[in-house]
Amino acid sequence: MSKISAPRSNREFVEACIKSGDAVRIKQQVDWDNEAGAIVRRVCELGQAAPFMENIKDYPGFSYFGAPLSTYRRMAISLGMDPASTLPEIGKEYLKRTNSEPIAPVTIDRKDAPCKENILLGDDVDLCKLPVPLVHDGDGGRYVGTWHAVVTKHPVRGDVNWGMYRQMMWDGRTMSGAVFPFSDLGKALTEYYLPRGEGCPFATAIGLSPLAAMAACAPSPIPEPELVGMLSGEPARLVKCETNDLEVPADAEIILEGVILPDYKVEEGPFGEYTGYRTSPRDFRVTFRVNAITYRNNATMTISNMGTPQDEGQMLRSFSLGLELEKLLRSQGIPITGVYMHPRSTHHMMIVGVKPTYAGVASQIAHLAFGSKLGPWFHMVMVVDDKTDIYNWDEVYHAFCTRCHPANGIHIYKNTVGTPLYPFATPHERKYSIGSKVLFDCLWPVDWDPINDVPTPVSFKNVYSKEIQDQVTSNWTAYGYPPVK
Amino acid sequence: MNQWEVFVMDVAELVEGTDLELTIRTLNPGVQKYTYKRVRAQVSTALDQFADQLQVRLGRGQLSKARFSIKVIEEIQRCPAKYL
Repeated sequence: MSKISAPRSNREFVEACIKSGDAVRIKQQVDWDNEAGAIVRRVCELGQAAPFMENIKDYPGFSYFGAPLSTYRRMAISLGMDPASTLPEIGKEYLKRTNSEPIAPVTIDRKDAPCKENILLGDDVDLCKLPVPLVHDGDGGRYVGTWHAVVTKHPVRGDVNWGMYRQMMWDGRTMSGAVFPFSDLGKALTEYYLPRGEGCPFATAIGLSPLAAMAACAPSPIPEPELVGMLSGEPARLVKCETNDLEVPADAEIILEGVILPDYKVEEGPFGEYTGYRTSPRDFRVTFRVNAITYRNNATMTISNMGTPQDEGQMLRSFSLGLELEKLLRSQGIPITGVYMHPRSTHHMMIVGVKPTYAGVASQIAHLAFGSKLGPWFHMVMVVDDKTDIYNWDEVYHAFCTRCHPANGIHIYKNTVGTPLYPFATPHERKYSIGSKVLFDCLWPVDWDPINDVPTPVSFKNVYSKEIQDQVTSNWTAYGYPPVK
Repeated sequence: MNQWEVFVMDVAELVEGTDLELTIRTLNPGVQKYTYKRVRAQVSTALDQFADQLQVRLGRGQLSKARFSIKVIEEIQRCPAKYL
């Protein structure tokens, strides 16, 4: 693999984004109470440069970096690519790197770890010392974790998990969060810790390198520390925690250490979510007790403001879910041409292109997709043929409206795994994470006669000879039309 | 005077003239703003009944027009002592 020059820390990423015009420095004072969140939200909705807010009310020395990966340009920068790279190019690079040999992380000495520059223990631990923002007006609390990694380790298997489980500050030592039962951490809690009444050690890393955040967000089967290495082309640098045996990214801006409590819960939510709504009910949820805080000098807190499209939750989840499904389907020998999830679907619809060489391929794709670890995060699969450009919504929408048979092409799956965040779900379904799924099969049936049964697309490129097309295009401006780019 | 806020599904949960157990958060300015306490308290729609004020949010964060005064009788510590 050629040398990758991806930003190795959030600081390097901020600098790279400022240099390319993909981030702006905001020097005037910004209030952590709604104002910072509103800036980030507007940036997401307008698709503008990420705000690096250097002067936070009540918190001298701290800064915010908002909307870190809410554009494909910033995603390309995070991978060390040209910011002008196209989505297919970025996807191809992601697949190349994540299909390479795993790169194990290295553990460094704590004296070399920037995240240990300040250490709060005992009575000094107080989350109110950090500039935890109120992201949306009306949220259930100030959210510590919106773009971060919650680090845990399976007590038996030893698997390390970095997950982006949202965390709300309840008081100076307590956080509550949404941990879904089908998630890696959710399963570890319900299978092991809760039945035994044991606390689960955790660490929350905030202000990660963009590729560490990407790994924490991606539903990949590869352990996240190794995935970071594969994405960045060099080992992730980890350091041991102060109060437990977990290891955290040494270059992170802020680390919280503590225990997930097995026998005590506080309320969490409501919160503005990636679907573009506040959907999941306020409830007693997984509760984190913080025992240590470590942070860099002049630490930067990263903020993701989830809401209507498009933010990095939608961008990155749709990006990684689509590519991980592509890997899964190719591994099963399905003759796909590609997989794309439009961020504006708030990662709910998977579009799969396939060469329809045998009957039932759309159902096979849907079963694999919904039945996989990726499945809980989306509820629609649309399968189109290999002649449809999956990145062109106009083409996909045309295929959907004209080829999906209302009676034969729509397949509904009930009582599947779901999330409390589905806006369409009933209150009962939200409470118990019950989902429903749908397949839109937009393929011509293989038992139709391709000459006499399959309709012929009527388009400029399809019905006219090459000679006529060339004649018309070469004379286009002579006819009086402006040139076509 | 302290400013407090509570989340409820229905304002009718805030019954006057009786002790209630509520999770409330402070709206007082400063770095503690929005931190929670579990308390035993009484509320009243008469805003001058008690010294502290309480505003109400509904299930999805909507601010209710209902306003109360509130008297915090005591803080309730539900967290097991072994974690404190």
